[in-house]
Amino acid sequence: MNRIAMLIAFGLLFGTAMVHAAPRPLIADKSRITFSVKEMGVSVSGRFSRFDAAIDLDPAKPETSSATLSVDIASLTTGNADADTIALDAPWLDQRAFPKATFVSSAVERSGDDRYTVRGTLTIRGKARAIVVPLTAAAQTDRGLVVRGGFTIRRSDFAIGGGEWNESGVVADEVPVSFELTLGAPH
Amino acid sequence: MTAIRDSYSAPAKLGHWLVALLLVVTYGVAWTMVDLRISPTKLRLYNYHKWIGVTIFALVVLRVVWRRLRRPPPWPPQMPAWQRQAAEIVHRLLYLLLFALPLSGWLMSSAQGFQTVYLGRWPIPDAIGKHAALGTALTSVHVALTWLLLALVAAHVLAALKHQFVDRDGMLWRMLPRRRRAPQEKP
Repeated sequence: MNRIAMLIAFGLLFGTAMVHAAPRPLIADKSRITFSVKEMGVSVSGRFSRFDAAIDLDPAKPETSSATLSVDIASLTTGNADADTIALDAPWLDQRAFPKATFVSSAVERSGDDRYTVRGTLTIRGKARAIVVPLTAAAQTDRGLVVRGGFTIRRSDFAIGGGEWNESGVVADEVPVSFELTLGAPH
Repeated sequence: MTAIRDSYSAPAKLGHWLVALLLVVTYGVAWTMVDLRISPTKLRLYNYHKWIGVTIFALVVLRVVWRRLRRPPPWPPQMPAWQRQAAEIVHRLLYLLLFALPLSGWLMSSAQGFQTVYLGRWPIPDAIGKHAALGTALTSVHVALTWLLLALVAAHVLAALKHQFVDRDGMLWRMLPRRRRAPQEKP
């Protein structure tokens, strides 16, 4: 009886594993998410240093791939203390009320050799918006993947930096975001 | 006492008074912007301040080139040697600071991660990368130089006023727009 239960358990486990590709571990120190905000022609760049990702991109079966990312808003740095303070403050990313930004993929399709188009939902400041993210995934010799891509968000879509910051035209609405994620071999 | 007939050339006068005007404006902008809370207005004023600084730098380059091409009029013969030396030193230091102030401002901006983009359109390359501690140090240098320049300008203005109202040698007229000579003044 026990053996049968174990067999069923194993069967379920492996069965699930075969349907869903195993997620690849994120190698944090070789991954980065950066953005740049433009004020009167001046691009001020910044990055998020802490984020988690569960990505199971399978180049053989891109349609079964999925990606979930969670970014720790408090980990934002621009290299300028004043700029960091503004970015985390209530009118901007409001780190206290919304400590995480997330991305959850809904569809992954291959658009070229190493190129993919990922559709999904980006949630910042509690506001969810559908986005399309083009990316490249370069296979590494250790069976890992280096995923690079970028997209541009509009601050106004997420109510980032409202009020005077939207009226004055000093700070551009578009904020380009780019990322480079190093993923290990699937477990 | 004989009045001075020699005068600075028209481009030299224009350069002198343009720089003087821009200095007054940029000092005013600087003293206003540093005390403002962070806002679009503050960013705007910082950019204006930087643009004026770049303009002053360019004008001073032109002035130095012009000074090589067209020598300033000689000192009045009755002017004591020590005064000539003092005037030479102050003039050299004024030029030096008119170069050093924009340069230090440009470097501090780069170190703070805010590139200088002239008139919001033409980016001036950063000579140094983003470096918070260096940015703080360069800010101190920039501020110290502003006071030094202010002291030199004060000495320059006081000396000009002394020539005008104490020595009554007409030195100030050399730098003022040429007045149409009345017929009876003809020799």
